[in-house]
Amino acid sequence: MIQFQYERATTTKAAINGLANNSNARFIAGGTNLVDLMKRNITAPTKLVDINMVPLKDIQQQNGKTSIGALALNSAVADNKLIIEKHPLLSQALNAGASAQIRNMATVGGNMMQRTRCPYFYDTALPCNKREPGSGCGALEGLNRMHAIFGTSEQCIAVHPSDMCIALVALDASVLVAGPKGERRIPFEEFHRLPGNQPEKDNTLQNNEMIISVEIPDNAFAKNAHYFKVRDRASYAFALVSVAAALNMDGKVIKEARLAMGGVAHKPWRLKEAEKALAGKPATEETFRQAAEIAMQGAKAFKYNAFKLKLGPNVIVEALKNAAGLV
Amino acid sequence: MDKNQANNRPEKEDHHESRRDFLKTSSILTAIAVAPVAVAKAAEHNLGEKISAAFETTPVNMTVNGVKKQLNVEPRSTLLDTLREQLDLTGTKKGCDYGQCGACTVHVNGQRVLSCLSLTVMHEGQEVTTIEGLAKGEELHPMQQAFIKHDGFQCGYCTPGQIMSAVACINEGHANNEADIKEFMSGNICRCGAYPNIVKAIQEVKNGGQKS
Amino acid sequence: MNEAFFDKKDYKPLDRVDGRLKVTGAAKYSAEYVLPNMSYAVLVGSTIAKGTIESIDSKAAERAPGVLAVISHLNAIKLPSYQSKGEHPSEPSTKGQPLRVFFDNKIYSNDQPIVAVVATSFEKARHAATLVKVQYNKEQHQTDLEANAEKAVLPASGKKNPKSPTADYDRGQIDAFANAPVKFEAEYVLPTEVHNPMELQSITAHWEADDKLTVYDKVQGTKMTQKNFAKEWNLPEENVKCIATFVGGAFGNGLHNWPHETAAIIAAKQVKRPVKLVLTREQMFTMVGYRPRTWQKIQMGATKDGKLVAINHQSIGQTSTYEEFTESTLQQTRMMYASPNVSTRYRILPLNLATPIWMRGPGEATGAFGLESAMDEVAHSIDMDPVDFRLLNYTESDPDKNMPWSTKYLRECYDEGKKRIGWENRKMQPGSVRDGEWLVGYGMGTGTFGANRNSATVHAELDKEGNLVMHCAITDIGPGTGTAMVQIASNTTGIPTEKIAFHLGNSEFPNAGLQGGSSTVNSVGPAVLAACNALKEQLITMAAAKGNAAFASAKPDDVMFDKAEIQLGGKSAKLTLGDLLKQNNIEKIETTNESKPDENRNKYSMNAFSMHFAKVHVHPFTGQVRVKKIVCCADAGTIVSPKTAASQMIGGATGGIGMALTEDAVMDHRFGRYVTKDLADYHVPVHADVPEIDVYFVNKPDLLADPVGSKGLGEIAIIGVAPAIANAVFNATGKRIRELPITPDKLI
Ligand SMILES: Cc1cc2nc3c(=O)[nH]c(=O)nc-3n(C[C@H](O)[C@H](O)[C@H](O)COP(=O)(O)OP(=O)(O)OC[C@H]3O[C@@H](n4cnc5c(N)ncnc54)[C@H](O)[C@@H]3O)c2cc1C
Ligand code: SF4
Ligand code: FES
Ligand code: FES
Repeated sequence: MIQFQYERATTTKAAINGLANNSNARFIAGGTNLVDLMKRNITAPTKLVDINMVPLKDIQQQNGKTSIGALALNSAVADNKLIIEKHPLLSQALNAGASAQIRNMATVGGNMMQRTRCPYFYDTALPCNKREPGSGCGALEGLNRMHAIFGTSEQCIAVHPSDMCIALVALDASVLVAGPKGERRIPFEEFHRLPGNQPEKDNTLQNNEMIISVEIPDNAFAKNAHYFKVRDRASYAFALVSVAAALNMDGKVIKEARLAMGGVAHKPWRLKEAEKALAGKPATEETFRQAAEIAMQGAKAFKYNAFKLKLGPNVIVEALKNAAGLV
Repeated sequence: MDKNQANNRPEKEDHHESRRDFLKTSSILTAIAVAPVAVAKAAEHNLGEKISAAFETTPVNMTVNGVKKQLNVEPRSTLLDTLREQLDLTGTKKGCDYGQCGACTVHVNGQRVLSCLSLTVMHEGQEVTTIEGLAKGEELHPMQQAFIKHDGFQCGYCTPGQIMSAVACINEGHANNEADIKEFMSGNICRCGAYPNIVKAIQEVKNGGQKS
Repeated sequence: MNEAFFDKKDYKPLDRVDGRLKVTGAAKYSAEYVLPNMSYAVLVGSTIAKGTIESIDSKAAERAPGVLAVISHLNAIKLPSYQSKGEHPSEPSTKGQPLRVFFDNKIYSNDQPIVAVVATSFEKARHAATLVKVQYNKEQHQTDLEANAEKAVLPASGKKNPKSPTADYDRGQIDAFANAPVKFEAEYVLPTEVHNPMELQSITAHWEADDKLTVYDKVQGTKMTQKNFAKEWNLPEENVKCIATFVGGAFGNGLHNWPHETAAIIAAKQVKRPVKLVLTREQMFTMVGYRPRTWQKIQMGATKDGKLVAINHQSIGQTSTYEEFTESTLQQTRMMYASPNVSTRYRILPLNLATPIWMRGPGEATGAFGLESAMDEVAHSIDMDPVDFRLLNYTESDPDKNMPWSTKYLRECYDEGKKRIGWENRKMQPGSVRDGEWLVGYGMGTGTFGANRNSATVHAELDKEGNLVMHCAITDIGPGTGTAMVQIASNTTGIPTEKIAFHLGNSEFPNAGLQGGSSTVNSVGPAVLAACNALKEQLITMAAAKGNAAFASAKPDDVMFDKAEIQLGGKSAKLTLGDLLKQNNIEKIETTNESKPDENRNKYSMNAFSMHFAKVHVHPFTGQVRVKKIVCCADAGTIVSPKTAASQMIGGATGGIGMALTEDAVMDHRFGRYVTKDLADYHVPVHADVPEIDVYFVNKPDLLADPVGSKGLGEIAIIGVAPAIANAVFNATGKRIRELPITPDKLI
């Protein structure tokens, strides 16, 4: 870890100014991802702007939406009464991620910005286009058991590791960001991107922008929502596949559905076609199985992750069964 | 305390001693800067170390186990390395250095966090409690007693982290049943495999009504 | 005085004697000693698996602030032992030439330590290490076991000694399998596993004088370490001191002295300051050994009613190109079941990898995965209960050595285990028991390990207040050695445990072997016993000499202490310890006693046995496995410390859950580098993976094995657990997973 300049910001403006004129300056929030990457020499910012004192920790309900400050802690959001009541899917997803200690440090903004856990990305002795553009993708013909099956490119097949983001994309959230020129809103689905020819870019946030908050519009999914995560051990592991499922039920019939998948793409993977297929149908295993099939259209596996083609739809069905109360 | 309120105090004015030393010796530093090999050589002497320390460190005030500390740390020092190497509080353990094991768990303003992923400079004005600060003098914390009683450890290396985490787990309200305890303690790995005994210890303390 | 007092009391559960130090953070591990002028070393590893170093550019690192030295083969002082070709400095470990760190430019494995950067702080050293630039001449490496299997060889130990567990072995008729009525054949693979103790391998090296070295080192043998470094540096042994008072787990990886230790000692010599070196978690995968990936093939022949006719078992395990690592993978196949015909073929395959080292349960645990899975498969194929199948083929004496067992109470383990797991709920037909959505399965596996014993020496002194203080060089990596020894001493003397201290983990203390191979209680325990009896004899002699006629004909067993009084059994005579010492004008008495294995070892086969039962749930659609309960039954002789012994069994079972379900060090053979090399990617079990673990000890002494009657249990705690779980998964799903770990992808 190189020596870097350290600065504390107390306002959004000061924070954004802190990044000015230094493309190698970064915000630090919980530090749970950034410090790890710096220790392993995967990233080496020359300046850190500590944003923990910027007052962006509130969780509020107003104007038909729930707004969560970018610096709210993952544990604070997961345990928040309002969130548990209105968006239990988000609470479940957060609690399925990392560990209690990490959730006590990790922030909403940091969680969105966390980088892939691809082992080639993490080893500076191995090729990785995301870490070192042009060096090649180690995973493409390597050990890609943990890698993507949707939206991959020849350049990168990594997945976004967040659990929280899977719930947020399912819940039609949007992201409020601020930069030198003011604020803008990005639909959550457009916040993260596919690797394409620029795998080094994880998302659409500009270098000098800061995440201010995440907003979730009110919805009718609170009663029938479930986050189902399959991993290599019972806890404290990244997803092989995870599914966020939310249903708006009218008796036994699905009025509306929200579905997103983790562990399968470079971004939180929303399953809109499958959602459409669920709408208006009875909540049965049969219906869920059909939707799952639709969801998997276009999936493409690599040498070691073909199991996700089978695990994926199964987890969709399980998540939906749980959401519908069939289990 | 509401964890969102767990906050830093405003930055203090910088009157730190080593900074003054630094100013005094800055002309030496300039000289060294143009002859980098000399730095390495100078570092062999205590003088050199002092100079480079002043050059690279930032002052931080924090309370550690109830004692106010004025520290000078490199911004890149983690809380874990500061505790272990600078304050000789080696009860907090390094099991991975990457947030993957929980051995380094300490309380910051009452919350359990991983000291290996936290920069010391980020704790200006905060209260840090380590395993060394848990007992009241000779009297062990009930969790420490329960770990002994239920043999919640073998080699003892994960133990300080387990205990700090366990105390917080109860305070957070995440120790209501066995399944809960296991899930919310899963960030603390024990390679010796003392898990079932740790869970028993936590249940006992929880049922005995833990005073924090 | 009650006569019962003189019957050896039962061993009662005792809180760990070092518990307070461990729960308060006061226990000091090897990177936690404060020395003046401390410096910090960080190792740079090679990024190729085979070849030579062309050049090292260390200028930037040398100029970085705080850097004291950048050490490589280009400028490292040459160790005296490096000059003697073929000499093997680390005696008790593997055959061959251990890697000589900083010796030349040769690369034998990826992440081989090639440079040490020493600086005034850890942060500075870590940063400067990233500035070292190395150019290589790369050569084609081989790291893939299966792809190179045909190059496997019989190890030297097997060639030299036909009785070695690694030698080719044939009992009965070679073609028996071909003629068996029921024939079964399968291959099994255990992946590379890594010990990964929670404490990162650490050493603090301190040259107290030019020819006086002290190391605070994470090892399983202080005497081994002292000897090895004395040899390495050509010093008298008494000039080298090794301190390992607390060891944060090891599971075998401290049974060898590794290159990083020598690197730290070289660095300390060169910078003339104490050097602290802590490996990174990644380096734990490449620099301090591992359980080698092992391929096995088993042929098992039986009669239709379940009598074993033949077992042919072969295995190939990895080793490095410079050391021949071997383990007893096939040993239990020779002696566990009453098959008249048994053949074993053990091979090792040198690859461009670092040297493996015994990991808990070592080869036996690997072999048991094959053997006990195959037993389950054959039982299933003849529609027989797997416990009945084992009982039908139970051995009443060791068919390999042709000797009676010293003791064997495995039957009791089967009986008790069945009750405790609820074996009656198991159905022969896989997939026929459910709990909600989850499939339920039951499985079992047997384990055995030699009741090893080494010579050990204990020094003991008893003062007039009745305080007993003992010393021994043995280490305690977690089992609770100090606690067990205090219990043995208390049991032998009647002195309350609070008044007994057992100091360990220091090479200046009397000799003991390694803490490994489940040999500590069996080896050091008898020395404690001997020392306690010797103290009693001294007192008896003194008492008799001072005219206490009642003591004249007393034996040590007749004497017990009650507080600071000496009581004589049967005669109701007593003496105050203080008075007796005063009469003799001494403050304390002391003794040093050695205890050694005896000739019974040539007459009996001595083994500890275990039996593990597992109940699992498997999710039919997602392939998640949850272990719901494990029952461990152990025939380990006398259990001297019931509390810590139970913890050992629980820990072993937990390790077995890891073997069965989660642990896998995966290598990308294109590069010869691991891709799962930290605790986020290499999964060891967490709290949520571990269920209730029920422990049962037969607890019958084996006095032929050693005077304490203990047979050891560190290894049998894990041997047989992985197959028990794999067999339970089969019973739940009908799916037989022959390559561990059983991750969700393999079950959907
Ligand atoms: C062992 C381990 C296991 C984990 N397991 C999981 C898991 O199972 N599921 C899961 O979802 N996550 C998991 N995580 C990841 C964890 O959730 C993230 O590390 C965490 O959410 C990051 O948040 P942070 O506040 O600590 O970010 P930091 O590390 O502080 O920052 C991360 C990045 O975000 C940027 N950033 C932070 N805040 C802002 C902002 N407001 N605006 C713009 N940029 C910003 C920083 O500049 C930096 O580049 C795990 C982490 C570890 C170490
Ligand atoms: S998948 Fe992406 S992150 Fe992984 S090696 Fe390829 S480019 Fe790098
Ligand atoms: S040392 Fe911090 S989590 Fe492992
Ligand atoms: S007690 Fe050894 S790692 Fe937990």
